[in-house]
Amino acid sequence: MPRSQTSGRELAILFEALYLANLLIAPVMAFLILLVLYFQNKNHSSPLARSHLSQTFYTSLLGGFLVFLVVGVLFLFGGFDSPYIWMWVVLYFTIIHSTLVLFGALGLAKAMSNQCWRYPIIGAKLPKGC
Amino acid sequence: MKYTSQMVAKPYFIAAIGLFVGQILFGIIMGLQYVIGDFLFPEIPFNVARMVHTNLLIVWLLFGFMGASYYLVPEEAETELHSPILAKLMFWIFLIAGAATILGYLLVPYATLAEITMNDLLPTMGREFLEQPTITKIGIVIVALAFLFNIGMTILKGRKTVINLVLLIGLVGLAVFFLFAFYNPDNIVLDKMFWWFVVHLWVEGVWELILGSLLAFVLIKTTGVDREVIEKWLYVIIAMALITGLIGTGHHFFWIGTPGYWQWWGSIFSAMEPIPFFMMTVFAFNMVNKRRREHPNQPAVLWALGTGVMAFLGAGVWGFLHTLSPVNYYTHGTQITAAHGHMAFYGAYVMIVLAIISYAMPMLNGRKAANSAKSQIVEMWSFWLMTISMVFITLFLTGAGILQVYLQRMSDNPLPFMVVQDKIELFYWLREGAGVVFLIGLIVYIASFFIGKDEAEPNEA
Repeated sequence: MPRSQTSGRELAILFEALYLANLLIAPVMAFLILLVLYFQNKNHSSPLARSHLSQTFYTSLLGGFLVFLVVGVLFLFGGFDSPYIWMWVVLYFTIIHSTLVLFGALGLAKAMSNQCWRYPIIGAKLPKGC
Repeated sequence: MKYTSQMVAKPYFIAAIGLFVGQILFGIIMGLQYVIGDFLFPEIPFNVARMVHTNLLIVWLLFGFMGASYYLVPEEAETELHSPILAKLMFWIFLIAGAATILGYLLVPYATLAEITMNDLLPTMGREFLEQPTITKIGIVIVALAFLFNIGMTILKGRKTVINLVLLIGLVGLAVFFLFAFYNPDNIVLDKMFWWFVVHLWVEGVWELILGSLLAFVLIKTTGVDREVIEKWLYVIIAMALITGLIGTGHHFFWIGTPGYWQWWGSIFSAMEPIPFFMMTVFAFNMVNKRRREHPNQPAVLWALGTGVMAFLGAGVWGFLHTLSPVNYYTHGTQITAAHGHMAFYGAYVMIVLAIISYAMPMLNGRKAANSAKSQIVEMWSFWLMTISMVFITLFLTGAGILQVYLQRMSDNPLPFMVVQDKIELFYWLREGAGVVFLIGLIVYIASFFIGKDEAEPNEA
């Protein structure tokens, strides 16, 4: 296997792992590392690495936006004392968060298999060469 | 099919599917009793319907595990089954004992059932999920021992693979932990504690080993990926399942009178319980991505992938949702638990049994590897119908559970249980609707066995 392809695969796995870490065990901190890596590698020679980087970076941004904006709006207009608002918040958060985690799990499996993958619906466009 | 003795799996699979239908019918009845309280009363009271629903689930999954073992072990061990006759005999004993027990629940008042089965000699009845008369429990132990003997002897005389050894460890664990069903101390704290040794250590312990080995077997067969790669994944998955699941039992010890340190042990270890399920998802998709062949049996691959995803959601995410002690203080025993239970059982165990049935049945019916394209399409429809309706059942129960927690346990003026039940009635209706769609999916699944029977199977790519 050529060296550039190997490093591309390793980077792709690292990006997916950071994306998942941001969602699961180290929120914000893992994203900040991903942010640094994004600026370091956005022009990387491997399309595999670039594709996983763009998927994880933009989906992290969009995912955070989807989670916090909608939850914020629900609380803003519904207040904290309504059981129905709490129901929608918990259900919404659980669905969105677990969907984002599942995307990451499938993305990680694709990265491990040396394959590009576009996250369904919210994923960024794949780079050329994928 | 490589070994003729694998045929003994077929009646086990057929019985499993038949009992599955019974389980869902009683689920529908019970779902309706949530909103129409006297529906079918006094013929089928709610507590009896619930008992039948949960007991049928356990029994049909056991039939599925046994059938799967009888199919898988000869192939892995590369030898005929030690005693096909014993396997057939145990099938009929288990089926008759199981059917008699269910009929006993339905036809005789539970107290009378306890009396006529001489429960007073060795009292084991009256506990959730372990309602079976003592004599049935003894029968289960005999069937389990004969089954283990048969499987164990087959493995001993044949090839030992990681898959059949992990499966054997899981099955031995299943039998050993069931023995706690016979321990029924007067002290209710000890009673509940050891009761969980059966219930939790089955579904969040040794059953995960069975699940892992069945999933690995189906993936090896359908993807053609090297056994070594799949076995390494299996090792790590079962290690994580045991590390987290065994001490994770502590999440059931929060409120039963055990020492306070279980709040910590239970919270920390059960918070890690989603890890093996997460790994299963990555594992399944990784193997399918790396496949060396396009197996003609597409539904089997679909069920295997679905197992990873749905087990992660149901057992992992929905388990984590209410597993931390400070959260569980409010949520235990609410509809959130029911939501978790439904999706976890479906994702982890129903789907893996259906995966192995889907993989094995075409061969058991004399085909080379797969059913006809038409049959496969119908089966994949049933996959989506059942899976999507189960997602909705879970979401509706979760919604009901959140409202229940808030109105009954968190608000400044907590409402009584039955008042809250009235307020969440809409969710029960919605759940019932989703349950009916699930039943339709199951009927479609059964129909797939009879559609396109005379048509050729698709070729392997």
